Amino acid sequence: MSDLFDISISALQAFQTGIAVTSNNIANANTPGYAVESVELTAQVPQGSTAAAIGDGVSVASINRAVDQLNNTQLYNSQSNLGQLNSLQTYTNHIDDIIGTTAGGLTTALTNYYNAWSTLANDPTSAASGQAVLSAAQAVATSFQSTNSQLQALNTGINSSITSDVSQINSLAASIANLNQKISAGANGGSSQQPNALLDQRDTELSNLSKLVGVSTTSNSDGSINVFIGNGEPLVLNGNVTTLTTVPDSFNASQLDISTTTNGTNSINSQITSGDLGGLLAARTQAVNPAINQIGQLATAFSASANTQQNSGLDLAGALGSNLFSVGAAQAVPSSNNTGSASATVTVGTTAASIGALTADNYVLSYGGGAYSLSDATTGKAVAFTQAGNTLTGPGFSVTLSQTPATGDQFLIEPTAAAAGSISVTLTNASQLASASALTATAATTNTGSGSLGTFSNPTNQTLPANTTIAFTSATTYTVNGGAAQTVGNGGLVTVGGWQATLTGTPAALDSFTVKNNVGQVGNNVNALANAAQQTQGLLASGTTSVTAATSALVTAVGSQAQQVNTAQTAQSAVNTQAIANVQAVSGVNLDDEAANLLKWQQAYQASAQALQIGNSVFTTFLDAIGATT
Amino acid sequence: MRVTQASEQTQFLAQIDSLQSDVSATLNQVSSGQAYTEPSQDPAAAGTVDSYDAVLAQSRQFTTNANSAQTALNTEDSTLTQVQSQLQSLRTLALEANSGTASGQDLTAIASQAQQIQSSLIALANTQDGNGNYIFAGYSTQTQPYTQTSTAVTYNGDTGQPAVQIAAGHTIATGDNGLTVFNAPTGNGTFTTTAAAGNAGTGIVGATSVSGTYTGHNYTIAFTGTGSYNVTDTTAQPNTQVVTGGTYTDGGTIAFGGVQVTLTGQPASGDTFSVAPSSSQSIFTTIQNLVTSLQASSTSTTASPQLTNSINTAINNISQSLTQTSNVQASVGGRLNAVTTQLSVDTTQQTQLQTSISALQGLDYASAITTLTTENTTLSAAMQAYTITEGLSLFKYIS
Repeated sequence: MSDLFDISISALQAFQTGIAVTSNNIANANTPGYAVESVELTAQVPQGSTAAAIGDGVSVASINRAVDQLNNTQLYNSQSNLGQLNSLQTYTNHIDDIIGTTAGGLTTALTNYYNAWSTLANDPTSAASGQAVLSAAQAVATSFQSTNSQLQALNTGINSSITSDVSQINSLAASIANLNQKISAGANGGSSQQPNALLDQRDTELSNLSKLVGVSTTSNSDGSINVFIGNGEPLVLNGNVTTLTTVPDSFNASQLDISTTTNGTNSINSQITSGDLGGLLAARTQAVNPAINQIGQLATAFSASANTQQNSGLDLAGALGSNLFSVGAAQAVPSSNNTGSASATVTVGTTAASIGALTADNYVLSYGGGAYSLSDATTGKAVAFTQAGNTLTGPGFSVTLSQTPATGDQFLIEPTAAAAGSISVTLTNASQLASASALTATAATTNTGSGSLGTFSNPTNQTLPANTTIAFTSATTYTVNGGAAQTVGNGGLVTVGGWQATLTGTPAALDSFTVKNNVGQVGNNVNALANAAQQTQGLLASGTTSVTAATSALVTAVGSQAQQVNTAQTAQSAVNTQAIANVQAVSGVNLDDEAANLLKWQQAYQASAQALQIGNSVFTTFLDAIGATT
Repeated sequence: MRVTQASEQTQFLAQIDSLQSDVSATLNQVSSGQAYTEPSQDPAAAGTVDSYDAVLAQSRQFTTNANSAQTALNTEDSTLTQVQSQLQSLRTLALEANSGTASGQDLTAIASQAQQIQSSLIALANTQDGNGNYIFAGYSTQTQPYTQTSTAVTYNGDTGQPAVQIAAGHTIATGDNGLTVFNAPTGNGTFTTTAAAGNAGTGIVGATSVSGTYTGHNYTIAFTGTGSYNVTDTTAQPNTQVVTGGTYTDGGTIAFGGVQVTLTGQPASGDTFSVAPSSSQSIFTTIQNLVTSLQASSTSTTASPQLTNSINTAINNISQSLTQTSNVQASVGGRLNAVTTQLSVDTTQQTQLQTSISALQGLDYASAITTLTTENTTLSAAMQAYTITEGLSLFKYIS
């Protein structure tokens, strides 16, 4: 008789557990990271081994979490990728706003500047027009500076986000290690039941971690897990944590790199390619720094060409024009890991050839095996250079080392990074604008050839030469003031004391030209016209692209980058939504399921209670029958 | 696939967010009238519009320049018309003086009229534009180009020719310097023939012309008797006699080395006439020489051969000046035409650029409004669908 009660009571207990688990599921229907639980019942095997024995009721074998590890792993990966794109998107869209805004933008400032020269050419003596050129020049400088400072501010933002990410990652790692210890303690203590709540918590922390940085995990037999970031850099091993740190970049102390306590000051940036942290690093190296360099390249080219033109002309006082713009020196930063004490100085060339060769890239100069090598800082590809002692000439710049560096020493060469932030207008007086051409070559009336000499330019900033006679001894050779014979250079260049003019046509032998300065010709506007014509003059990319054209191209390039990231982010969002849905399909709480379960358990409970009552009435009937009661 | 209420709600909210952001973006387009507000929405168009904006601004600058060139050229044109009128008057005066009937008093009067014309011409040559710049000074626009002393008129300008840019790669001269306008070749434009000051006979230089090619050498025609002459090339070293014992007839032509000279009157033995290549001479020098000759002859009662020769030389030079100024004026007219043409080209180009910019940047309202309506419909449908499915729960049926 007693087994009748035992069976019913075991059932009541089991179904109570079922109702409790279902209630807990309903209670946690909106709890992030909660995996739906189910009760696994098992029939109790009767004591002894009677062949036709009735069972001994039911017992709760376990309470299971519904988890699919593959779905979870996919979600972590998808969250890492989305996190990377989210933070990258923030920065590419910022840059898009900064560079793309046409109102008050760089293109407008540049166009106004060239137009101001064109207006000055209409009347070079007009003080008002001259002042307009100075104002327009100031506006260009301001535009470069403000663009640069907005971009630099993004780098500051990246630094503080990196610091905050690293501290969040460390606290999540500590939490996972702590949960690992609790879980393994349970397992080592002999418990056969899974600590569901702890596992839920650990998965939630792991999920949060995957948003910040790409993770991979391995499981241990005691239920604990190991967490790795990047390409297998251990973050959590069982109950132990490797703390992530931020270290100043070896070339640029103002930029923070990621490292770990075991890596010391060595950066592990290259390993971190996903998650919010990966996105921040990518934004810095792929978006912000390239944009700063490109703006700097524009500023360098613009200032160099404006200054050369200014040096080639005469101002209202008849003096050679002095530089209109100044640009801060380019940087060559020794690595903080260098063992030698050599320092490096970079000079960016201002000639047309140098500006044409200049790129927006940074370069790494390394010394090893008794020789220098130069490589592109972004792509790592070797870059050609020429060497004379400790002076090396690369694309558009030359770098001089104070002494031979130690083996393994490296220098980061940034030819353009500092230019946009440091460009300023050096002239204050409109009468110092060089509107007049400095020298004019007049053909002798007795010339029989078709040669003529154009306006002289002054690419190396020489002083004004005295009156000079250029006498051709053949179609391609000439003497200056009866000196040694010189040969006409490439592109018909004829040189007088560093000044260059282009020869067109073919001079005959004995043809001569008189070169005189134009001092006093206040109405001479040849140089002002040349300044205005620079708007369309090819300077960059081997002299094929003007500064304004390059600015427009930059707007497109920056916009395209933002668009690509936006598209990738939208696509990854969809992937992530699907990954969440996949996880939810297995682990989520469906209230209709739970309602049905509740009914199931309730009905089973009621039935068991009924069985107990029947057992009771059977027992009473039996007692009545034997008259045990009164 | 098993769906949970929580994920259904999350997904629904994400969809509503995304739809609302679409509606907001379209609304932004409609209210701003721009197809894109950030370059990333259409990078290619943004870059193109940026470069078109630059070209448009430059084109507007070219229009400004062309207008300024037009003003300058119009000023020069009207000044040149006045210069020509003065030169015509001067030529009339010279012909009057050469009529043979002019008395000494007449010559004095003519000389003083010529001086007045010279003053007017100097004033015209020193014309300033609205900005106070001298228009005939070349590049030395702040220097008065012509100054007069008691003996001569000096040019202080230079040989520059200011130009402005009216199109990409197209500059146009907005003026001409004094040397171009007021200097002209002497004689017939190729060579000059001058009677020696001490000639005793009545030989007068008449019409001259070039036959074939002028050698460019200096020659001396020397009369050895009343009817015969020798011609010596004084450039060649040593000097060579190119005509020996030529026979002179009154009104006949003497020809040598590409030169044809007609002499009238009776040159005396020992009289010489020199032939030299034309040089560039200022109109002011011509007037100065004329006035000097007229004043020198004002005391004589009859016209001397020297005076006639001087006046003839002056008339030749004035004619050359008239030709020169009318050539310059023709060139100014040509430049004005070029500027006018360029102005209309600029206008067309600016209109086209603006059309292109509007096409790239401007919003297609019809399609934008359609998009907005569609997005709105989708949004309200999504909301309605949610309210329908949200009410579904098994718990409702458990009592």
